[in-house]
Amino acid sequence: MSMKMFLTLLRKEVLLEFRQRYAISGIVLYVFSMVFVVYIASVKVQPPVWNVLFWLIVLFASINAVVKSFVQESGARQLYYYQLADPSMLLLAKIVYNTLLLLVLSGLAFGVYSVVAGNPVKDAGLFALVLLLGGLGFSIAFTFIASIAAKANNAATLMAILSFPVILPILLTLIRLSQIALRVIQDTSYQRDIINLLAIDAILVTLTFVLFPFIWRD
Amino acid sequence: MSLNTSKIAWWKIASIALVIYSIVAGMLVPLKPGLTYVSPETAKTGQTLTLRMHGYNSFYTRSDVSDIRVWLQYDSLHALRGQSLHVLSDTVLAATFVFPNDLPRPSPSVMLNAIIDHPADGVSLLPDAVELSRDTTAVAVTAADWRQHPVGQLNIKKDFSFPYRNVIYESIRNTYFHVPMWFALMFLFVASVVYSVRFLLNPLPHFDRKAAAYAETGLLFGFMGLATGMLWAHYAWGAAWSNDIKQLMTAVALLIYMAYFILRSSFDEPEKGARLAAVYNIFAFASLIPLLYVVPRMFASLHPGATGNPAFGSQDLDNTMRMVFYPAILGFTGLGFWMAELRARYQRVADKALGLD
Repeated sequence: MSMKMFLTLLRKEVLLEFRQRYAISGIVLYVFSMVFVVYIASVKVQPPVWNVLFWLIVLFASINAVVKSFVQESGARQLYYYQLADPSMLLLAKIVYNTLLLLVLSGLAFGVYSVVAGNPVKDAGLFALVLLLGGLGFSIAFTFIASIAAKANNAATLMAILSFPVILPILLTLIRLSQIALRVIQDTSYQRDIINLLAIDAILVTLTFVLFPFIWRD
Repeated sequence: MSLNTSKIAWWKIASIALVIYSIVAGMLVPLKPGLTYVSPETAKTGQTLTLRMHGYNSFYTRSDVSDIRVWLQYDSLHALRGQSLHVLSDTVLAATFVFPNDLPRPSPSVMLNAIIDHPADGVSLLPDAVELSRDTTAVAVTAADWRQHPVGQLNIKKDFSFPYRNVIYESIRNTYFHVPMWFALMFLFVASVVYSVRFLLNPLPHFDRKAAAYAETGLLFGFMGLATGMLWAHYAWGAAWSNDIKQLMTAVALLIYMAYFILRSSFDEPEKGARLAAVYNIFAFASLIPLLYVVPRMFASLHPGATGNPAFGSQDLDNTMRMVFYPAILGFTGLGFWMAELRARYQRVADKALGLD
């Protein structure tokens, strides 16, 4: 029952994205523009700078992609969903959908970025894992913050100021891990960082589900 | 409505007393005697050289010259004893050293620690005071030995004074003001989160006011901790801001709570704003833990106890410092709680005037 509900909700998110194609196209174009701005501003990028700029592109694209997940539908329709389905299931569907969306976006950003600015990644497996963990962490934190910000009048500004401090531990760990994947720094015990990252994700996801019932009810 | 205006909580008086005690004791208790520098700072093997040792807070004239002993020490086994001592003033001492022809270990040069043992002042040590380099042209003249006079039988002085540390010197007193700010901040933020949780379980405006007041006071203590830290950093590290990982993480932690106040104020309905702010407060506090305790471990830091500890190690405090440090933590934390309570009460009066309560 709940699995079916989850899949239906996930399908709803995907369908919504494809029906309103301007949103996803906007984000993709946004990624392309950012990559080209970076390329034009600094033609030859060294691996440490490449790494930082890449994560900045992914970060901004992710915020812009996730902020709409609660704003795009009107309050009345949201309330209708909450009557039909379990609210935490709705949130789970949104988190999973946003994770998939961010994975596609960061993959796309990586593709375009490595074409224009070169590909300094030495450990492809680790880098792919870092992208996966990044998509997951960003999705959990941003989806939850978006659900808070959507209730206020100035959602876009609030989204940025509320999420930056919260995302920073995740972002710093991700940058450090991808530095290892780029062989900018040497560290053989990076498993500890991965465990840290998963622990932060676990804390955030638990809190998200505990606190969400207080957010959706108006 | 019950009025308890005449009731004065004992802990308020206690915290004021503790804060006054830690300011007075922290500022007035003297530092132990120490060694600031030795001149000249370089020597060569086979040389006979008179060194001048410059003390700090020292009273060399207070005891007989024959009772003062000085060494240049390489390690616990290898040391040179200074001869024909002259006390020039309370803070200047001259001693003659006869350097052997070889170094205690095969290398071009070694760094030696200067040690003075004084019956009244106790022991003072200056690490890496003199650089002794190998003189390849010198012919063996003296037969002085590194192992003849090991350092021993020192006069350890136990009294109420703070340790003398090179580099930080008198600024060691900032320990009683800089560090308690962070303790107080942590306690205040925990209290704020507790009130946020209570508000979510039972939405009374009283809990929301408390949560906001504690967060506000915590933020104030954060700024004070940052300011005292920057003063200290300017003195000890050479720059007020050196992008140390703890400075950065603290700045981010303060950003989280500034975002909390912006979120609170961006709703038209106060009840809705209070509820969402409470949710964000809990969420933000959970991400504060990795920020302050996990991330700093991944980077090098200038702070003592770096690469591992969030604060400093136990060897950084001696018993005299503990007697001021722990009361200072309790005092400033109590003061913070009192300030937060007052802030919440003021807000209650203001809300009543507006008809919100």
